[in-house]
Amino acid sequence: MSSFGYLIKEGFKNLFHNRLMTLASLGVLISCLVLTGSAVMLTVNVSNIVDSVGDNNSTKVFLDDNLTELEAVYKGKELKALDNIVDAQFVDKDDAIQAYREQLGEAVFANMTGDDNPLPYSFNVTMDDLSRYDETVNAIKGVSGVASVSSHREVAQKLASLSSFITTMSLWIILALAIISLFIISNTIRMTMFAHRFEISIMKSVGATNAFVRVPFIVEGVIIGLVSAAASVGILYLLSDGVINSVQSILNFRYTRFTEIIWPVAGAFCAAGVLVGALGSAVSISRSLKHEGNEILGW
Amino acid sequence: MKGITMIEFKNVSKVYDSNGVHALDKVSINIQKGEFVFIVGSSGAGKSTFLKLIMREEQPTSGTIVVNGMHLEKMPRRKVPYLRRTMGIVFQDFRLISKMTVYENVAFAMRCVGKKNDVIKKRVPYILELVGLGDKAKDHPSELSGGEQQRVSLARALVNNPALIIADEPTGNIDPEMSYEIIQLLSEINKRGTTVLVVTHEHELVKSFGKRVITIDDGRVVSDSDDERYVAI
Repeated sequence: MSSFGYLIKEGFKNLFHNRLMTLASLGVLISCLVLTGSAVMLTVNVSNIVDSVGDNNSTKVFLDDNLTELEAVYKGKELKALDNIVDAQFVDKDDAIQAYREQLGEAVFANMTGDDNPLPYSFNVTMDDLSRYDETVNAIKGVSGVASVSSHREVAQKLASLSSFITTMSLWIILALAIISLFIISNTIRMTMFAHRFEISIMKSVGATNAFVRVPFIVEGVIIGLVSAAASVGILYLLSDGVINSVQSILNFRYTRFTEIIWPVAGAFCAAGVLVGALGSAVSISRSLKHEGNEILGW
Repeated sequence: MKGITMIEFKNVSKVYDSNGVHALDKVSINIQKGEFVFIVGSSGAGKSTFLKLIMREEQPTSGTIVVNGMHLEKMPRRKVPYLRRTMGIVFQDFRLISKMTVYENVAFAMRCVGKKNDVIKKRVPYILELVGLGDKAKDHPSELSGGEQQRVSLARALVNNPALIIADEPTGNIDPEMSYEIIQLLSEINKRGTTVLVVTHEHELVKSFGKRVITIDDGRVVSDSDDERYVAI
């Protein structure tokens, strides 16, 4: 076996000798990576929703509650006469409540029929040029009898700001977990080094370089990183479809599945795992090498 | 006729920062390549500090040290492993790794300096035969006597073919008969050209071999059987 093969084997052995700390390191690093992956999935999908909502050229125009059905239907002509509007579909109160029922369940609006229906008459207005969206909405608001315009852009903006908030929060949590991971891996390696101080002392007495002494411990850190990356990808693969399916029943959009982004995520996780593992090891090794094994005769 | 110098101490003093102890005081020693030298002295005389300075485990407070042509007081830390590859160390307490076999303990020293497996496979059995442990390769240290364990330690010190063997109280943990055998073995190794430095406090054993003896007491060289400056003392 070459020296390199021997050092790799030693790195694997270290993992088993220090099982409890290895598991702790794996646990924290996996949490960190799963959270990162979840944040990525959330950001990608919220961005999909935002794009889909923002690109929708259909806008809902609600009319004043005191308008009769005839007056309401007549408003359609005024709306169609406005510039940039290609169509205005009238939505009856009963049709509107029925749409809500279909989306949220029959029981929710069961008693809201006839005069008890709180919804106003409305129009689904289709615009020609979305770049003139704000200008057209202002024109619609100028029509008498129009109570409000439900801007999809506002929903998109709210979703975008929610997504940005979640991303920022996730980044802070991920940063905190990454620091904890570094700390725990660093301690795991330090404990391994302490347990091997006798061997390190012999290594140094026969002329092993610090680089040679380091390799098994770096290997240990890198293995922790790679195993965490693989486990995190597995967990996200198993969880994400279930979560998307449940959300899809409420908000029906085209969602990005984890399988569509699995390779870039797996690559990034492996890189992050290796980096955190190697960095965690390196920190403790450089500190410990100054102490462990330096006393040869004074052992 | 003056030979090639292996170890040269010139006015070397060592004061430990941690406790202010003056371990060595203006020590000057010259050991030639191929010599066999006993360093004797009572406990706390400065023998261990002398060895630590040779191995560059400690640095001198003042004076100059040259080992195998390398100036140790100027040596950067990264070069220390290469200095140590020129020497083999035998410890009083053997320092064998209990979970490794005799073969693995000796091979470990070769792996640490990056030797390839085919080289290790040829060299280790040869060295084990040399120290008389050819049939114990698969045993673990716990299965061996004290004398045998010390021979494994010696095999590990020898396996990288060092120019200098440093033995720190090699007979401290073994019976007198085995002690004689170990020194005899070191003497045989010395005959092959390796410089041997043995630190001990067993005066009787030292006398029986008739080698050069340097006595250190209270951090100073108080006698040197090869140096006429000390003959009168």
